Amino acid sequence: MELLEVSGLSKRFGGVVALSEASFSARAGEVHALLGENGAGKSTFIQILAGALHPDEGRIALSGAEYRPTNPDAARDRGIVTVFQELSSIPDLTVEGNIWFRREPRTLLGMRDKREIRRRTEALFQRYAFPTLNPGQELRRLGLAERQVVEIAKGLAQDPRIFILDEATSALAARETEWLLDLTRRLAAEGRLVVFISHRMGEVRAVADRLTIFRGGRTVAAHNASEVSDDEIVTQMIGRRLERLYPERLPYATERVALEVRGLSSGARLSDVSFQLREGEVLGVGGLQGHGQRELFQALFGVSRAEGESLLWGKPASIASPRDALIGRDGIALVPEDRRGQGLLLGKSVRENLTLSVIRRISSRGVLRRESEAALVKEMIDFLRIKVSSPEQQTDTLSGGNQQKVIFGKMLLTEARILLLYDPTRGVDVGTKSEIFQLMRDLAAKGYAILFYSSDLPELVNVADRVMVMRQGRIAATLAGDQISEDAILRAALFEEAA
Amino acid sequence: MASTPAARDGVSGFGAMWVRWLDRAPFLVALLILLVIVAIRSRLESGVLTLDELNVDTASGLTLMLAATGQTIVLLRGGIDLSIGGIISLGTVLAATHFGSDPVSVGAWSLAILAFGFGAGALNGLLISVLRLQPFLVTLAAWSIFTGIATMILPTDGGSVPEWWTRFGYATLLGLSGPVWVLLGLILFWYWFRATRLGIVIQATGSNERSAILSGVSLIRVNIATYGLSGLFAAAAALYLTTQTGTGSPLIGRDYILPSVAAAVVGGISLFGGRGNLVGTLIGAFILTIIGDLVFALHVSSYWQPVLSGLILLVAVLVSSLTEKSARRQSQ
Repeated sequence: MELLEVSGLSKRFGGVVALSEASFSARAGEVHALLGENGAGKSTFIQILAGALHPDEGRIALSGAEYRPTNPDAARDRGIVTVFQELSSIPDLTVEGNIWFRREPRTLLGMRDKREIRRRTEALFQRYAFPTLNPGQELRRLGLAERQVVEIAKGLAQDPRIFILDEATSALAARETEWLLDLTRRLAAEGRLVVFISHRMGEVRAVADRLTIFRGGRTVAAHNASEVSDDEIVTQMIGRRLERLYPERLPYATERVALEVRGLSSGARLSDVSFQLREGEVLGVGGLQGHGQRELFQALFGVSRAEGESLLWGKPASIASPRDALIGRDGIALVPEDRRGQGLLLGKSVRENLTLSVIRRISSRGVLRRESEAALVKEMIDFLRIKVSSPEQQTDTLSGGNQQKVIFGKMLLTEARILLLYDPTRGVDVGTKSEIFQLMRDLAAKGYAILFYSSDLPELVNVADRVMVMRQGRIAATLAGDQISEDAILRAALFEEAA
Repeated sequence: MASTPAARDGVSGFGAMWVRWLDRAPFLVALLILLVIVAIRSRLESGVLTLDELNVDTASGLTLMLAATGQTIVLLRGGIDLSIGGIISLGTVLAATHFGSDPVSVGAWSLAILAFGFGAGALNGLLISVLRLQPFLVTLAAWSIFTGIATMILPTDGGSVPEWWTRFGYATLLGLSGPVWVLLGLILFWYWFRATRLGIVIQATGSNERSAILSGVSLIRVNIATYGLSGLFAAAAALYLTTQTGTGSPLIGRDYILPSVAAAVVGGISLFGGRGNLVGTLIGAFILTIIGDLVFALHVSSYWQPVLSGLILLVAVLVSSLTEKSARRQSQ
């Protein structure tokens, strides 16, 4: 019998239909992938399952019995646990404090039982072979990937019957992703149902027994994973054939050096990094997560301090803050890691977000000129094909892909021709991904110089002209042309004697 | 990309140790300030380092300590409570106008006043969550309303409490005065409270409200409990205040609103919620209380007292923020 059976599920927000008679059916002991572009209704669907939203119509059955959760706790009581893409970790609690939050074992006086918490945490980590984490470490001291792992631990601590992973791998690097995929298979083998949401086809292929595809709030297909091709899946997801994910990679790089870095160092995280980024070049940055990539981008953009020299277009530059980087045509612009936290003002409109960094340019004597602003905004929305009802739409109501486009627009409007892209396709649907890659190559053709970090290996292999692989804060290898392969990047990331 | 000494601080021995210690006990700054003040005073006067002095200083600071305890819980939640001014005023007025001379009447009315404090605070919490209003505005309004009611009951200072009630501040047990025992009780309360589920949830909600909601926390309940406790401690402060003044004072509460916030901040409580230790607040309140004595001992005009308080506040905030910054750098 099916463990989870959903039929006729509909949900509207005002006039917007998020789900329209969606159906879904999955059994215990399988990994079931849920696929669809951003805005296909996946998030609404899992939020209903998690008790965070209530459907307008439709029926959900758990082992044949009616299931109508009124709040997240009710869903948890029935064994449905969701690891949301938006992390629910508490920065000031420790790793174990987060894992057992609100379910702490207690002593007679009602105090948390520290010893018991530690014992259970270690048992959990051991049972599922968790990556090394210090249970007593505070969450605000950890990076995105580690917080994601804690989130997964928090879910598992509730011993779920149905475990829903919403883009859980998007924050993880190769090694942790491998662990999570193993974990997923193991949970299914233990008789649980794992609902797996990811935009990375390779991962879906690696773990999914079955898959269900959503498009525009409807269920368009359900397959056994072994009986359907990648092409068919993508076609069903986007409703048309995607010619190819990666654009043709013509060499646009000139001899002119746009950004030169000499001996960049910062504590233990970045040591003696030197490289040249040329006009028209897409220079990839790879390596396992946490090996200095974030520090490199932050140092280049002046967010954090580092020692060393940098030259912009041949001229020495001292970049101590983003203000020094954002100096117009000769400057540097950044697409940051955390789209919602660092890249966008979520409560503000698309227009306000786009023009935030260039307010000076479109103002005269301190007063904003509305016409020049409107023209710029329209130009960017058209150029990047951002799907908005109007420039005044709030950015938090946009899909992930469209939010990322707004950030790209904001960056392009700074006129900087050296672009730092930190994992720009994280959590972005396949259609928008393809647009972003095309945009990167087009910008390179126009003479932009692009430094591109990605946690997804195939992206580096297919989009970058050269790839620098970082290990322990150093550049372990720089690959070019035919040398670039997933294998070579991983090898350089892992071993001392690199290719 | 310029190099800075601060960037290298992260690896140096002493700096790193200090940062780690301060991270674990954010009240170290307050403790140091307290030690400095006590050291200066004991150079200038005799009898500073005696049990008597502790008893006296605690007696004059306990009202602020109680008020600041409630304020600390609210600050940890990421809010602020101005209504304690009104609750303290109304509390003293109710006590001074209703206390009889027998312990039964005093006990019953004390419980009633504490219940009023909790209820008033809970109402704040309810309004903040249901109407989604700023804590600042809701509690500002509540302060005004309660102060108004207090002046209706008692237009000027007046009323009375039994004589035996006012002896609480001087009564001693094992050499320690009543107020010192209450202070010890507050410290015990804190180490218990912060390990309870409610204590954890309040701090977690202050740390990241959205995450707390996603983890299933009910904001209404958290806010009712948080502001309710703050009101409860404000009422306790009012009761203690009547043992000191012997009267009801319809306007006296306002003297404790901002000092309660200052005591918490000096003690290392973050105004952004989620982080802090009540022991720091209590030390902060103690410092603010004995500054007057220090000014007196220095033989300078008493107008220096607020200036000195302000400077101490600045130093404490500055040290905490510098530490937090270099701690972040270290962990990166």
